[in-house]
Amino acid sequence: MTTTATPPTISVPLPTRSPQAHRVSVVPTLAIRRLTLTVRTPRSLIAPLLTPVLFAIVIAPALADTIAAPGKEGAYMTYIALATAGLLIPLNCMFSGIGVIVDREHGATRELLVAPIRRSSIVVGNLVAALATTALQMLVLIAASALRGATYVTGRDTLWFVAAAFLLAVVMYGVAEILATRVPSPEAFIAALPAIAIVPFFFAGSLFPLTSLPHWLAGVAKILPLTHALALFRYGLTPASGATALHNIWGGHDVTAMAALSLAVVAAYAVIVIMVAIQLFTRAGKS
Amino acid sequence: MSTRSAVMAEDLVKTYPGEVEAVKDISFSVEAGEAFGLLGPNGAGKTTTIGMLNSTVTPSSGRALLAGRDVAEDPMGARAISSVVFQDAVVDEPLTGRQNLSLHMKLWGVDAARGRSLLGDLTDTVGIADILDRPVSTYSGGQRRRMEIVRALLSTPQVLFLDEPTVGLDTRIRHDLFDIIATLRDQTGVTIIMTTHYLDEAERLCDRLGVIDAGTMVACDSPANLLAAIGTEVLELRADDTDRAEGVLRTNGVAMEDILVIGGTITASLRGMPGARAVQLLDESPVPIRSISTRPPSLDDVYLRLTGDRIAAAAH
Repeated sequence: MTTTATPPTISVPLPTRSPQAHRVSVVPTLAIRRLTLTVRTPRSLIAPLLTPVLFAIVIAPALADTIAAPGKEGAYMTYIALATAGLLIPLNCMFSGIGVIVDREHGATRELLVAPIRRSSIVVGNLVAALATTALQMLVLIAASALRGATYVTGRDTLWFVAAAFLLAVVMYGVAEILATRVPSPEAFIAALPAIAIVPFFFAGSLFPLTSLPHWLAGVAKILPLTHALALFRYGLTPASGATALHNIWGGHDVTAMAALSLAVVAAYAVIVIMVAIQLFTRAGKS
Repeated sequence: MSTRSAVMAEDLVKTYPGEVEAVKDISFSVEAGEAFGLLGPNGAGKTTTIGMLNSTVTPSSGRALLAGRDVAEDPMGARAISSVVFQDAVVDEPLTGRQNLSLHMKLWGVDAARGRSLLGDLTDTVGIADILDRPVSTYSGGQRRRMEIVRALLSTPQVLFLDEPTVGLDTRIRHDLFDIIATLRDQTGVTIIMTTHYLDEAERLCDRLGVIDAGTMVACDSPANLLAAIGTEVLELRADDTDRAEGVLRTNGVAMEDILVIGGTITASLRGMPGARAVQLLDESPVPIRSISTRPPSLDDVYLRLTGDRIAAAAH
């Protein structure tokens, strides 16, 4: 005689949920997910770390030796090293946007979209991860360039550098999210990347002062968040050079006020761009 | 429809840009603990319908309710009590199975300790406990699908959406998954809404089926009742002259209704006349018959009767 066993009932009590704790933990959970995926994809980690090292210990000194006036090599190398921050932050943040497309194409986004979380937290979680890798890059850049001979002045004014780097990263990641929402493939995203992340670098006061640009182009440069961020980078770590950069933008003499104005410009871009990115992502998540 | 239904779809319509009517006024309800299937070919509107129920598709009009929660007005509440297993694998491949499952628990706010206990029970049931700490990229298709089903159940949803759960898998794995889904449903009592174009899957797993054709629900009943409406036996014959063959069927009373002709194939429901007698009558007729057979009715016959086409042929 055959007996059929009845499958045992899984009698685990209904898992409890803590709404408040759950909401607080969502962004860190998503950020950790993004960072773990980055660590698990070595090429996503190597480039962001090697690139600043390359710039700091090879390119900046080489440019200084080639271009700087005699006796000014150290100052120019420092000038270039800080300019590198204005290139690396946009590049790193824009490349982070490719993860958005990978998530969408390979479907992980859909799991997040049906989760009981605000869709804005998906964007914010990815942003936090991008900020973490950007912070690591900046630390490597500053440390490597200092070891190579760049001279920085650290103190309370360093906060201008930190704030500007943070806000510029927010701006650029927001742009990356917007672009990722609008383009159909990673190839299209990468094709747009140079125009967004690299071209502005060349006339934002990175390799030479704004005053060296034609008047009309300098006017365009003053609208870019990168121009203001670069001036703040310099003011935060090389106050004399930074004061000149801020004066080239605003024409004033109260350096602190000009720095505050530039920070406000970058902050305004950051708020607007991230809000637009969240709106577009939320709308794209529902067809 | 009962207001206590686990799922209610009221007059759902979805029109995409370009006046593409993917779903045209679908309504149905599903009771708690029931397994309800949306059966139809590719492009019929099944995934769009399920998308309007799980908040990934915004209805053009109509209303979707999950356990009384309006999906459009309270999407967070609706998502908190439901889970989805998508047609395509939706996993973070570089992460381990355990990390993928842990992410789901955190996003759904499941208590860590109790969630771990449930994870152990579910992974033992489906047979993936020993591969949890490997990257998902190393899993087979069947293992990934089992992991996704476990993931969906970790949050003890009231409603589980399965979108073509066995598509792309080989037959043996598909039938293993039938058993797993049926077992998990018996153990947890979850309400299941699934889409499928596989007839065996629909019959095996679903208490009721909504037959979808070109965005419209053309029938809604249990598989047994849908098949009973066809009769107990179906005659299928192939002939060059289908008009004459059809005439023979009617003249001899083999079949009066439910005679469908598609190309050179005639399908007819035998109501009362034994199949052997029907074959004998046709053999004795002067109409040349290429082939003739009788068989039990299938859901494909149900679909054919309702829509005039077979499920495979209707895909677009």
